[in-house]
Amino acid sequence: MLPNRSRLSVLIFLVPPLLLYAVAVLLPILQSLFLSFFQWDGVTDMQFVGLGNYVYLLTGDTVFWTAFLNTLGYLVICLILQLGGALLVASLLTMLRRGRELVKTLYLLPAVISTVAIAFLFQRIYSLEPAGLLNRALELIGLGGLQTAWLSDVSTVLAAVSIPEGWRFTGLYMLIIYAALLAVPQELEEAAKLDGASWWQTFWRIKFPHIRPVWITTTIIATTYALRGFDIPYLLTNGGPGQASELLTTYMYKTAFTSTDYGYASTIAVFVVIECLVAVGLILLLLRRKADA
Amino acid sequence: MTTTTAPRSSAPRRSSSRLSPPPPRQHRRLNVQRTLTSVVVALIVVVQVYPLAWLFLTSVRTEQDFANGDPFGLPTGFTLENYSRAFSTGNLALNILNSFIVTSGAIVLIVVLGMMAAYALQVLGFRGSKFVRGLFLIGIVVPVQIALVPLFIDYAAVNLLDTYQSIIIPLAGFSLPMSIFLFSSFYEYIPRETYEAASLDGAGPYRIFAQITFPLSLNTIVTVVMVNSIFIWNDFIFANTFVLSDGLKTIPLGLQNYIGAMGKVDWTATFAAVCVSITPLLLAFLVLNKAMIYGLSSGGSKG
Repeated sequence: MLPNRSRLSVLIFLVPPLLLYAVAVLLPILQSLFLSFFQWDGVTDMQFVGLGNYVYLLTGDTVFWTAFLNTLGYLVICLILQLGGALLVASLLTMLRRGRELVKTLYLLPAVISTVAIAFLFQRIYSLEPAGLLNRALELIGLGGLQTAWLSDVSTVLAAVSIPEGWRFTGLYMLIIYAALLAVPQELEEAAKLDGASWWQTFWRIKFPHIRPVWITTTIIATTYALRGFDIPYLLTNGGPGQASELLTTYMYKTAFTSTDYGYASTIAVFVVIECLVAVGLILLLLRRKADA
Repeated sequence: MTTTTAPRSSAPRRSSSRLSPPPPRQHRRLNVQRTLTSVVVALIVVVQVYPLAWLFLTSVRTEQDFANGDPFGLPTGFTLENYSRAFSTGNLALNILNSFIVTSGAIVLIVVLGMMAAYALQVLGFRGSKFVRGLFLIGIVVPVQIALVPLFIDYAAVNLLDTYQSIIIPLAGFSLPMSIFLFSSFYEYIPRETYEAASLDGAGPYRIFAQITFPLSLNTIVTVVMVNSIFIWNDFIFANTFVLSDGLKTIPLGLQNYIGAMGKVDWTATFAAVCVSITPLLLAFLVLNKAMIYGLSSGGSKG
């Protein structure tokens, strides 16, 4: 603590940031909690319904459960692409002699591009008529039978809207994991190799435990970001066809701004927050416990 | 790229082996492994980057070429006509200006308020600072969607809907915690003695902030600015919710208009517009590449 500080000086530095944060983040969270107990369309009088919204959400709303399962699917695909892809490319990169900077730059490029641009791009990539990049590539490698309209096929649409999100940020996580891998002491690796450890053993027994703290942080960031994923599914399919690519976030958005059901939309929003908190708790529990074992 | 460097690096070794005894088997295996790694990495990078190259190629194709041609083929001709159509149908210049205003407004708030809060929490210190830190942590975990409905209602009540401020406030608010944590983890490393010496010379908390803490923060400021610029420049959800009039639309919203405005989508012009819209950030990224990569990797591991 600074010796000459006064209480006033603390307030002068602390109050402005706290004020912005309260208006933009804290107050809206409380308001959402409050609204989630009401039925309100923004025009007529608010009607207190107690836990009614929550009861309907969990027991009566089939769209909600579809959206929830879709969100889990979206999460799994994003995590595989982002974390799996990041770990793979980062460890390959540590074995390269040259061109590491170039690979890092190119791999990160998609992270700089807006979701609207990405949505346009993938709309063309998935296109069937005329054949987009994906369908054309399938034809070229002799898998023409697999061609489909990826965004209007109920069985493929969820994967189709998840992949762009995974693709977009994999470079970012790769950078973080790569930096962590570089920090693993060389002596450990060499000692393991001298003892005859295979590449795979060196990786799982030496390197991975070393980067575990960073891995936990990265998993948390990737998970919370995937759970709040909204832009790409909203822009590409708006949840359709039917509810095949509806996520909790797109469902909440439509409930709020298309059906103007502010109360119920807030209930869904509160659920998304709880879901994020539970996910973070689970990750900490699972990954930390493994570290102790 | 990487594939071309790999054989080159192994070439001199092969020629030198003619003079010296042949290399042990393990070395040759390492070389094969390294070449294979290079090839795999190159393939992954091509898959990762090809969509972007294709985006650019499409934007300089003629319309007929796009309609009839093979998407993997090279353009049959080079045309900039798509770009002129993109500028004449949309409001690209205005959209870019709006994005600049929103991004710089939010960034200034994030940097200045972030430094102030970190200074109060880390350097000045006070009772209850742990609690305040906890409050800021909420903003990192909680998804932004929770704020949409309440802010929409609040803005409507105070006539802030459809203004620059309506986008700047939540963008800055939700990015503030990360900025505070980056600044405070840096302030931890400024030695106590520096502050004590300044205090003995009679400097108060304001002078110490202006003359010691702020000048030392420059590197962290660069990190904070760059990491946040990407997310704020590309923001879609807040702008889409709070902005209604065409005059205030940022780049992501402006792009979205290309579908509605033309009924049947003019893809080559749309792709030209997309190329224009990503250029400012892409240029900044390529020029400041090193600093940005450093910022992103350290920002993630510290968060």
